[in-house]
Amino acid sequence: MERETLEVDVLIVGGGPAGLSAALRLAQLQKAAGGEPLTVAVLEKAREAGAHMLSGAVLDPSTLIDLIPDFESRGAPLAASVHEDRVYFLTERSKIKFPFTPPPLTNHGNYIISLNKFVKWLSSLVEAEGIDLFTGFPASDVLMDGDRILGVRTGDRGIDKHGQPRPTFEAGVDIHAKVTIFADGVRGNLTKELMRRLQLGAGKEPPVFAIGIKELWEVPRDRVAAGTVIHTMGYPLKFEEFGGGFIYALPDGQIAVGFVAGLDYRDPMFDPHVAFNRFKQHPLVAGLLEGGQMVRYGAKALPEGGWYTIPRCYASGGLIVGDAAGFMNSMRLKGIHLAMRSGMLAAETAFEAIRASDTSSSRLAQFETKINDGPIRRELYAVRNVHQAFGYGLFAGLAFAGFSLLTGGWWPGQIREESGSDRMEKLSEYYGRAGRAIPAGVATAAKPDRRLTFDKLTDVHYSGTRHDEDQPVHLLVHTDVCHTICTEEYGNPCQRFCPANVYEMVGSGNDGRLLQINASNCVHCKTCDIIDPYQVITWVTPEGGGGPQYDGM
Amino acid sequence: MILVIAEQRAGKLNRATWEAVAAAQQLIPEADSITIVVPGSGVPSVAEELAAARVKEIVLVESAALEAYTPDAYTIALQQAIERLSPDLVVLPHTYQTRDFAPKLAARLDRPLITDVTGIKNTGQQPVFVRPMFQGKLTADVVPHGQTPHFITIQIGAFRADKAARGSSAVAVRSIKVTIEASAVREKPEAPFQEAKQAVDLSQAERIVAVGRGIKGQEHLPVARKLAEALGAELAASRPICDSGWLPMERQIGSSGQTVAPKLYLALGISGAIQHVVGMKGSRTIVAINKDADAPIFEVADYGIAGDLFEIAPAIVAELQK
Repeated sequence: MERETLEVDVLIVGGGPAGLSAALRLAQLQKAAGGEPLTVAVLEKAREAGAHMLSGAVLDPSTLIDLIPDFESRGAPLAASVHEDRVYFLTERSKIKFPFTPPPLTNHGNYIISLNKFVKWLSSLVEAEGIDLFTGFPASDVLMDGDRILGVRTGDRGIDKHGQPRPTFEAGVDIHAKVTIFADGVRGNLTKELMRRLQLGAGKEPPVFAIGIKELWEVPRDRVAAGTVIHTMGYPLKFEEFGGGFIYALPDGQIAVGFVAGLDYRDPMFDPHVAFNRFKQHPLVAGLLEGGQMVRYGAKALPEGGWYTIPRCYASGGLIVGDAAGFMNSMRLKGIHLAMRSGMLAAETAFEAIRASDTSSSRLAQFETKINDGPIRRELYAVRNVHQAFGYGLFAGLAFAGFSLLTGGWWPGQIREESGSDRMEKLSEYYGRAGRAIPAGVATAAKPDRRLTFDKLTDVHYSGTRHDEDQPVHLLVHTDVCHTICTEEYGNPCQRFCPANVYEMVGSGNDGRLLQINASNCVHCKTCDIIDPYQVITWVTPEGGGGPQYDGM
Repeated sequence: MILVIAEQRAGKLNRATWEAVAAAQQLIPEADSITIVVPGSGVPSVAEELAAARVKEIVLVESAALEAYTPDAYTIALQQAIERLSPDLVVLPHTYQTRDFAPKLAARLDRPLITDVTGIKNTGQQPVFVRPMFQGKLTADVVPHGQTPHFITIQIGAFRADKAARGSSAVAVRSIKVTIEASAVREKPEAPFQEAKQAVDLSQAERIVAVGRGIKGQEHLPVARKLAEALGAELAASRPICDSGWLPMERQIGSSGQTVAPKLYLALGISGAIQHVVGMKGSRTIVAINKDADAPIFEVADYGIAGDLFEIAPAIVAELQK
């Protein structure tokens, strides 16, 4: 097939905080240095900038100040500055307030933001610099020549569900670049492919993740003051499970309420969405939300592994930034500023390399030097073992986190990690060992009351997700394991870990139950790709423009 | 004088033409000031149909080159017609075809074009046209300036076809010949592209019986089908039924299917997921039959029966047949 080819100097895959910061930094370097202008293009799979952005979010403005010193006069949408931090340990019925806020959770000087609005704003600055931002164009494949990254291929449009071209068929375009910056987000489909092909994770710990589920609510205005940040630990999670709840108060009676659960849980019957509902039913949360209305829903995985899990982020002709690489501080629950910082540093590396006409792997290795010499390592190295310590349970983790603060992260050696999909235990192991009864599947979930708690399908509606129905399923699953071994071994956990009701086992007469994939429900969170215990699910890009619509999230 | 440009394909009138006629009649009440132009080749039946309108006359713009639509031939033909009839205003329905040639026609004559008009305010000296902007977030009041004729396209559905005034007797039909050089037509039309054939248009149905997962298996569909027949209703379904292939996709109601608003909507074994409800909540009377008394469908239902559809549906059929 004939494909169009486009040549640029720098190609940025992904229009999130990392990718857009890289684009903006390139424009700044260009202005300062003068000379032949570099051509820069940004690809974004969402229909419009920011539509797939989901975070809590509390922003540490340190990178923003460096990247856009006049961010206030340029209208940065920072919804509220944080004026109060509260941390609670929850039990089923009550709460215990921490007498002081643990230093990593102190948010003085930070802002509560809507990442969706923030990224929309960043994109407007990028476009004002004359950089092309191609929204609705997913990058489906990496183009390589041996170990050299040449660029990417964008997804084809107009393929029907049987894989045949429709009358509206348009072949994807090959975009070649001197340097491609991969900012494809948590568990990025191209970064995953690069890590496999170039073994970028060699000598590192396997990456670990969590899933964050969030709803945006509108409640009576006097309920909680804008700028209030609440974090919780404990209920509804078991001590062996990592995670917690968050409540961020925005202006105008808007509240972001969310729950993060580690995607390294052992119980195959665990359902993060059920945990989120139980969190909302806790008197602390229910009291805040009562009489309010849920207006948006979303879910997204987040990289929790920290310093030791970050892969080699450079290759010949390519750099990896942001969540794709795992630049997130799981102790401070923050990553936007690190994503932006990594984007800036990648832009500087790429700019200098192109000017020196050397974009080889050894030249782009300067990216690693910049990370090691700058604020990213300073911040992440200090908490390098904390997430791993939580692998030994909540109290071990908390104790270690405290210890870490005193010692700057020192520990004799490195705490090992196993990938989340390996940690999930079989039903017979998890329940058999303890002699517990296996709960009766999803039916154990408390029935949603449709006021405070919702079923997944209703929540999916509020994510605004939309995909053309007539296209191939974008979740590639080796379904032969589902109704044979998985039902018995794990009880088909895909039905539970997916927060968007994509996976359903449905009756089909003689064969028992078969997997049905409701791909158009997908909110692009990547959880299935991460946690599936057999690692038989691969998330690939659907047709451009498909996916959630996270207005205000 | 106002010229309304009709749209037809293979001798079949596009209903939106009547909406454009209604808009023209709102602009000028005098029937004498409105002429309808029908471009085509051998389409007298279209002209006869339009002759019922309360207007001055119908003008057939005829040429063999107009048999199948091409933007070049239409532009050339209508340019000649407009020059001969010299109207002050040209009104077109905002169809796909209009969107294709109207900008070209207006540009060739160097006259203003106001597209997608949703309303007309003709209280002042000059009519003001209302059109949406920024994907409907704002509406703008627009007044065309400069030499006439001015071009206006009317949004589909903004004016009601049945409100177009009919005359007491059919008006005169005359035809004018236009010359179109074969070499001036640069496009070769192919057979019109048909999106997946929609055999059934549920949006037109007065009564709908819709089935959901409660029907349990394809072999039970006749239970619903019999009820639909007894009610003179169309059969429809929620997503899982169509996903399983028990009914074709074109019968799916909801956010990924069709949106309907019949007089009667009878939901059989449908739980009422919001994705389904958004496609049918505009129905005048909603009746739900579901085993689960807590099912969300009962929140939108006017009448609800908590019970087994396999008992209730046949009972309703028996009652209707009495």
